[in-house]
Amino acid sequence: MLRGVKVEAIDYGDRKVFSVASFNRGVASWLTRLPTVWVEGEVTELRRQTAWQSVFFTLKDPASGACLGVTMARTRFDALRLDLGDGERVHVFGRAELYEARGDLKLRALSIERFGLGDHLAALERLRKQLAAEGLFADARKRPLPRLPRRIGLLTGNDAAAKQDVIATITARYPPARLLVAETYVQGPRAAGGMIEALRRLAGAPELDVIVIARGGGSFQDLLPFSSEALIRAIVACPVPVVTAVGHEGDTPLCDLAADARASTPTAAARLVVPDLGELLARLDRARGALEGGARRTLERERRRLDTVHERLGRAPMLDLERRRGRLEGSAGRLRALSPRSTLARGYAIVRGEQGAILRSAAGLLPGARVEVELAEGAFGADVRETRP
Amino acid sequence: MSAEPTFEAAERELESIVERLERGQTGLEEAIALWERGETLYRFCLARLDAAQGRVEELAARMHEEAPGG
Repeated sequence: MLRGVKVEAIDYGDRKVFSVASFNRGVASWLTRLPTVWVEGEVTELRRQTAWQSVFFTLKDPASGACLGVTMARTRFDALRLDLGDGERVHVFGRAELYEARGDLKLRALSIERFGLGDHLAALERLRKQLAAEGLFADARKRPLPRLPRRIGLLTGNDAAAKQDVIATITARYPPARLLVAETYVQGPRAAGGMIEALRRLAGAPELDVIVIARGGGSFQDLLPFSSEALIRAIVACPVPVVTAVGHEGDTPLCDLAADARASTPTAAARLVVPDLGELLARLDRARGALEGGARRTLERERRRLDTVHERLGRAPMLDLERRRGRLEGSAGRLRALSPRSTLARGYAIVRGEQGAILRSAAGLLPGARVEVELAEGAFGADVRETRP
Repeated sequence: MSAEPTFEAAERELESIVERLERGQTGLEEAIALWERGETLYRFCLARLDAAQGRVEELAARMHEEAPGG
């Protein structure tokens, strides 16, 4: 309708000067020559009122943040029944238009299509592959969680059930835990930026040893900020380990892959970051008990060994004496066996002279001499009758 | 026992004395001297065990007092 508009300039000498209105009208007219195209972006700042002729929103480039104002006739917008929310990715079919009163460039929308789930999945998969190729999800990058964190950062939405779950579980398991909570948007167009800022703030807090990012279940769209490239890079760059618990089992936002640990629920995340104090104390107690038991058992063993060796010591001298006695008796027996008495028993006799000396020769004996004869049994005196050489 | 031996050293000596006595290859005088030495070592080891037991009991008592769970 602006085509062919005549734009009048006022001449000041040889200078042609346009009024703002005529300049705008001229540009607006020129813009009508541009083709009608599809533009992709995220819906933000959607403003729709029944009293208004048009619906307004800003289309934002999720990668660069570049913005473009969009207007659409309200009746046309309502007829689409899109029920669009902030942060949703859309394709807008329209053409450039200048809002002459303000000199603002607008996209006059003729149609809007929600960016399909399939498109989202394909885009996520492209991003996942790219980041994986960079090594951001590598296991080697994962840091171990502290056993007893001095301070725990919690990044969550305000008033979220996830927040309550994490806090309740942490304080129940480990009452002395110190928590620093950073609340931010966890869905919508401001979520990624808000979370990155919150992460930075938490990581900078003194004595903070671990950060939990917790968010309850939500639609695929709601969880999209948790797959944003900027957030993933911020998690990777975070100086302390990060635990994610986002959505329900089965949701796998890309931030889970970049986190040092991922939990299926906020409660599970809380269990990952603090030990159960009761269990810890019980284990310590058992160790202490084992220590005492060990000391007692060692003592008992040493005492039994000492008892045994002492018993042997008490018996050893008696055994030694018995053995000596036995040996002595053996010798006595052998001694007795060698004595002349056994010879006498065989019928020999010992003959002694008057001096009591044993006689071995008849020489020197005179008839009438007195001798003593000793037999095996008894003895008798005798007189010598005669001698023979 | 002039220079105080360790419990283990005393126990080892006691055991070797008992073994010598049990083999019975010593002189009678020596055997009696060894027996006396063995008894001395036994009393020393026993005193060491009693002292250790005392310390265990003391620590255990203190531990049960301190432990919140009893």
